[in-house]
Amino acid sequence: MHIPDGFLAPTITLPAYAVAAPLWIRAARRHFGPGQVEALPAVGALTAVAFVLQTLMIPVPGGTSTHLVGASLLAAVRGPWVAFVCESLVLLIQALFFGAGGITVLGVNALAIGLLGPLAAWMVMKLLAGRFPKLAPFLAGYLGLQVSTIAVAAVLGLQHALDPIQLPTPFSVVATTMLVPSLLVTGFVEGLYTMFAFRIFARLHGKTSP
Amino acid sequence: MKLQGRTARFALLGWLIACFTFSAITDPRLLSGGVVVVAVVFRGQAARAAQRALSTAAPVTLAILALTWAHAWWILHVSPDLYAYAALALRAGLLAFCTFAVLGAVDLFSALAPWPTLSRVLVVTLAQIHALRLLARESWLGLQSRLVRKPTVRDGLANAGGVTATMLTLSTRNAREISEALRSRGF
Repeated sequence: MHIPDGFLAPTITLPAYAVAAPLWIRAARRHFGPGQVEALPAVGALTAVAFVLQTLMIPVPGGTSTHLVGASLLAAVRGPWVAFVCESLVLLIQALFFGAGGITVLGVNALAIGLLGPLAAWMVMKLLAGRFPKLAPFLAGYLGLQVSTIAVAAVLGLQHALDPIQLPTPFSVVATTMLVPSLLVTGFVEGLYTMFAFRIFARLHGKTSP
Repeated sequence: MKLQGRTARFALLGWLIACFTFSAITDPRLLSGGVVVVAVVFRGQAARAAQRALSTAAPVTLAILALTWAHAWWILHVSPDLYAYAALALRAGLLAFCTFAVLGAVDLFSALAPWPTLSRVLVVTLAQIHALRLLARESWLGLQSRLVRKPTVRDGLANAGGVTATMLTLSTRNAREISEALRSRGF
């Protein structure tokens, strides 16, 4: 889902870095404490979980497969700021070691996939986990993914509106290509997976809301 | 021999500046020139970097370009702008090529040595990724061997949920052990 390098101009990527940087600092200070010794392993371990989640392929009808994002689950279990830091590190590792995404678009991808989606998922859990404990994780996973997808599509649409030569793909094509599979297939897969994982995690740790 | 220390840091800085500069170029001729320059500067890594760039950046870029092309041709009934398409494909390819060439030539951990926090996070994360990937792979193979039929979507999701809960529990325990190990070594 994340945007590859070369699709966005610095007119979008640099302001995105300017917005993301203070949020990275705030999130790291708030949730990973002042002591490096305690904080670093937690960041590393949770980032590794987030990374491996994105390599888990789930077969979908039609003979193809989709991969999980897991940011909503991380937000439901640990909160949106932890999800933001860990997903940002996942995106950095993917850009540096695996050639997925990219370094210029890191700020945009981190805000869309690491912050907005998990924030939406966390809010759904906060609002609904008390009344609908079984349904809330599903909705958190489903809506979190949709929010991230809409954010990514909106940024690509903005780039086309600002400079069609930089990105010739119009918003209608981007939105259709990204939102249709997300609304009809990937969202349900992510929602069901979040529900299953949260249920097992709650059984192990007695946790029912973020 | 990979670039180390200060030279590696300069190479990474140059790579960052080059990436942002390339991402602003929309002229296919300039982008083609960029490909040649990167290939000459990093001639030792050029072949492998080109291969990796083609296998990672090309499929996504070409799929998106094909969709946009089809939309312009069949729905809008207009001729697609070849210039913009060529520029986008070249730009995405050049950025991937440049990234793989530079990272192939640089010893990343030596370059990041002045920032021990970042180095330690990367080391811990990469080590944990390796361990957790093995766990996920073994869990999937275990699920396949337990079922007499092919795993369904529901089986896959339930298994992924179980593995995730295990990974979250394991990562908490690992984090505690690593922090104790770091403390015992004087960090």
